[in-house]
Amino acid sequence: MPGATPRVTQQYLENFRDRVVRIVGKVTKLNGDTAIIDANGTVKITLNREANLAVGHAAEIVGRVQPDLSILMLGSTDFGTDFNLNAAAAVVEATHRWKEIFYGDD
Amino acid sequence: MDYGNYGNQYGSTSFGGQVGGMGGGMGGGGFVASQNSPSGGGRNYENSSLRPVTIKQLLDAQMADGSEEFTIDSRAIDQITFVGQVSNISAQSVRITYRLDDGTGIIEVKVFSPTEGDHVTSRPNVEENSYVRVIGKLKSFQNKRHVGAHIIRPVTDFNEISYHLLEAATVHLYFKHGPPGAKDTSGSAGNMSGVQQGGVATGGAGGGVSLGADGLPPGLSAAARKVYHTLSNTPQSNEGLHLQDIANKLHMDAAQVGRAGDELLEMGLIYTTVDDTTWAILSRDTLF
Repeated sequence: MPGATPRVTQQYLENFRDRVVRIVGKVTKLNGDTAIIDANGTVKITLNREANLAVGHAAEIVGRVQPDLSILMLGSTDFGTDFNLNAAAAVVEATHRWKEIFYGDD
Repeated sequence: MDYGNYGNQYGSTSFGGQVGGMGGGMGGGGFVASQNSPSGGGRNYENSSLRPVTIKQLLDAQMADGSEEFTIDSRAIDQITFVGQVSNISAQSVRITYRLDDGTGIIEVKVFSPTEGDHVTSRPNVEENSYVRVIGKLKSFQNKRHVGAHIIRPVTDFNEISYHLLEAATVHLYFKHGPPGAKDTSGSAGNMSGVQQGGVATGGAGGGVSLGADGLPPGLSAAARKVYHTLSNTPQSNEGLHLQDIANKLHMDAAQVGRAGDELLEMGLIYTTVDDTTWAILSRDTLF
């Protein structure tokens, strides 16, 4: 499906090299133009200029998966501190299990 | 839109043919047309529902030849709802077009601008890159699909995104495989259907009152349990059963059944249908 940005957690990254994905995680570290998020595993994000991440907040990153499985950010949304990351991980599982309504590879 | 006109012409042709009542050939034509008219002509309110979907499902929705209706999982859709992120907003004179991306696809959503003098519909503050909930109908114009929205509102709790996607998956699986628990579709959902299918707790007076036993919450009176099981085990129309019918079946006093009904109503286990004393089970099956 053109235009789809599959939802992933860290485990799925290697199946999505060079693809644009959505990944939600808790921001654990901000350092200049990179950030570290925990999305069922540690993921390094290379930030763009519009990034408005805050340590301790959940954030959704839309970005391209790089060869080293870091993510080059294209956009981000701050999901705040009341976001249920376990539910989001369940969503990721559901989207890959029943991909016919999410990302279908047809 | 084109299909609509086509359907109308077709319908009126068949009508004319039948009124004219000319030759056998005409009659034949009328017959064929009238076969088509129930699906093409009259609006079918039985399908009125609000279905949670992903944008991919909207883009994949089927449209049968000669029909105005879209179907998803072989079910006609009416109102649909989804959650997505606004990637572009363009305001024209009478309406605003939003481009929405929910990760599964991209679709345009059109909302008519409130005209002056309209009572306060206070257009919510929808900004680019924000997440919104949309309620509307899928439309097709010149082979391009869009959603005509009645409601577009900002998502303030981001858990609504997760909730929506899981709900869309649940409804999809419901239509594809039937109610949960029928087989082994998924563990936790399977338990819930036990609520409907749980065996009748005989007598029920002092018996096992835990949620597992008959799927009803603790604290219900024995009478309420009996009424509930009668409602769930008696064949009935969608109007449910009347208080008096239940009283007759259970050889119970009408007043007692009334009190039992109140208990069940209060707990949200049943709902009133045609009047205050006709009840039906509020089950997952009736939600879809």
